[in-house]
Amino acid sequence: MTDRPVPQAAGFYFDGRTSARREVTLVLDDFNIVHVEGAGIDRFEPAAGIRVSEPLGGAPRLVTFADGAYCELPAQAGLDRFIAALGHSDSHVVRAQSRWTWAMASAVLLLIVILAGYRYGLPWAAAKIAERIPPSMVATLSDQTLAFLDKAVFEPSKLPEERRNHIADRFRLLTPPGGLPVPHAVLFRASPDIGANALALPSGTIIVTDELVKLTTDDDEILAVLTHEMGHVHERHGLRLLIESSVVGFLLTWYIGDVSSLAASVPAALLQAKFSREHESAADAYGARMLESNGLSSALLASMLEKLEASHGSPGAAAERDSVNDYLASHPATRERIEALRKR
Amino acid sequence: MEAELPQSSEPAPEPFEFTGTGGDYFRIWIVNIALTIVTLGIYSAWAKVRRLQYFYRNTRVAGSSFDYHGRPVAILKGRLIAFGLIFVYNVAGRIDYRWAIAVAIPIAIALPWMLRQSLRFRLHYSSWRGLRFGFRGAMRGAYAVFMLWPILTGLTLLALGPLWHQRLKRYQHDNSVFGTTPFRISARVGDFYGIYGRALAVMVALGALGGITVFVLTLGAMRDGRGSAFAILLPFAFTIAFIGFFLLVGPYLFARIQNLVWNHTTLGPHRFRSTLRARRLAWISFTNMLLIVVTLGLYMPFAAVRLARYRVACMSLLPDTLLDEFVAGEQANVAAVGEELGEFLDIDLAL
Repeated sequence: MTDRPVPQAAGFYFDGRTSARREVTLVLDDFNIVHVEGAGIDRFEPAAGIRVSEPLGGAPRLVTFADGAYCELPAQAGLDRFIAALGHSDSHVVRAQSRWTWAMASAVLLLIVILAGYRYGLPWAAAKIAERIPPSMVATLSDQTLAFLDKAVFEPSKLPEERRNHIADRFRLLTPPGGLPVPHAVLFRASPDIGANALALPSGTIIVTDELVKLTTDDDEILAVLTHEMGHVHERHGLRLLIESSVVGFLLTWYIGDVSSLAASVPAALLQAKFSREHESAADAYGARMLESNGLSSALLASMLEKLEASHGSPGAAAERDSVNDYLASHPATRERIEALRKR
Repeated sequence: MEAELPQSSEPAPEPFEFTGTGGDYFRIWIVNIALTIVTLGIYSAWAKVRRLQYFYRNTRVAGSSFDYHGRPVAILKGRLIAFGLIFVYNVAGRIDYRWAIAVAIPIAIALPWMLRQSLRFRLHYSSWRGLRFGFRGAMRGAYAVFMLWPILTGLTLLALGPLWHQRLKRYQHDNSVFGTTPFRISARVGDFYGIYGRALAVMVALGALGGITVFVLTLGAMRDGRGSAFAILLPFAFTIAFIGFFLLVGPYLFARIQNLVWNHTTLGPHRFRSTLRARRLAWISFTNMLLIVVTLGLYMPFAAVRLARYRVACMSLLPDTLLDEFVAGEQANVAAVGEELGEFLDIDLAL
């Protein structure tokens, strides 16, 4: 016998076969046997065969026997001592959960993982995945997009055929930077809706609008825009953006889903805009290199950007937009890009 | 009415109570998220069991708490299958709409089966006083409420929506058991139409108010020679209508339907009482959303506890006699696939 008080706890007994609730006292004896005593209950259970639930805040602890019967032990003085005496010790996870220091460490870890994953992990993974998407799939995807655009915003080009062939032929003769050929095709479309613009599909199809061609009489400037679009194709920006935004959208919906899908769509749009900024700068750099390696000036792209900016609104309006919504702009502030090109 | 003296000899109502706190749940939540990330998602199944156990064991009625017995490995399997299916669907959707349809049709056909499985899993692994709940709904009924009625609702431009909702609740509640004791529901279709009708009236009123506001403001702006103000105001009007729906109409529907359903549900001879208030619920949802945004999501566990506390506190059990006489039924294991798909597809059947 020892001097220490006998480990015991008060609770309720449930036999697992009916919903009857019986008040009992659990006492652990020197032979590690638990005595469950109460009105109409007199049970002996070796402590070794007993399962103890983990602590969950103020929730009662559950002491379950082999046959499914269990005792519910509400929070009370001496409960922790009784449970420790049963030979039960909490797992590491449970111990971490019960301390604020661990909770804070988890929060910091979480923040680091999310930021690093978003800044480095996601673009890296998207680039890797984009490389592995089979060309046939890329072609199908691009054809679908082109078919959709043709239906929604494009009309057949009204430019004279020789002008179109002249531009396309000259572009074909340019060597890409590093001499690495990039499969591509240049298409012309009229589009009063989107105005002067050019875009690249992942398959290498580059679409130029009549409105853009009409902005300049210098074909070299159009070639400059084509080199920029070629940069998007070479860097697989379209596919990467698609993969990145799908992953972000998927995770955000999963995370915020039960709060509000409204809240999920806003950050997704913000993040997508940010991706484009980096991609535009990368495509500018590629275009500039391509121009320079063919004896043309990267200033051609800069002057074309100025013309594009002017065609999409008065400079005053553009300046106002930039100051309010700089982060949201899907093209980085055009002036920054122009300056970067002129500095080369 | 006052002459019915025997009423007073009935056992007193047993209020449900929730004993969880935001601080406790925050620590569980954040540690589990960190572990989930470190294990690349594998731990999420264990985290889910712990989350449900936290909420179940902290929910008490008649002096006893509920418990959740789902096994993490079963949930993990379900999650992997669900994740695979959704991934395939997403990829197919990116390639070609025909591929997406080819993938979506078998999933859509299997969905009622999965949702029924989800109901079975959740109830089968829930218990109170050591007795399990259960779900005995037939497959036929699942295809009726998860396929036939939604299609009919769509075809009638949502006119049959309240009828569908009533059929869904009837399928859920009439087929649930506690031990061997069945639940029964007596809420009528007319009651559902009444609630949806009032919600529609509120929406129309809000829409009209928003429309008039925009119209007046635009007229004023045009007179000042700034016609483009219309283009600026319109999205605002839509956003306000959208938020109004989520903050007012959503909680209204939720509270009223919940009250209707539980006030007309019996468990053997016992009844329930639900007294959710739409305004209180709207206030909690609104402030929760605001705080979650401000804290970049860190308030989420506090929000969940706050909402649970209010929802649980509004429920009472009205016992007819002693609550000691329920008896356990047969036990069989249920796979978790359906449950996880339901959760992934964001279909909450917890109502």
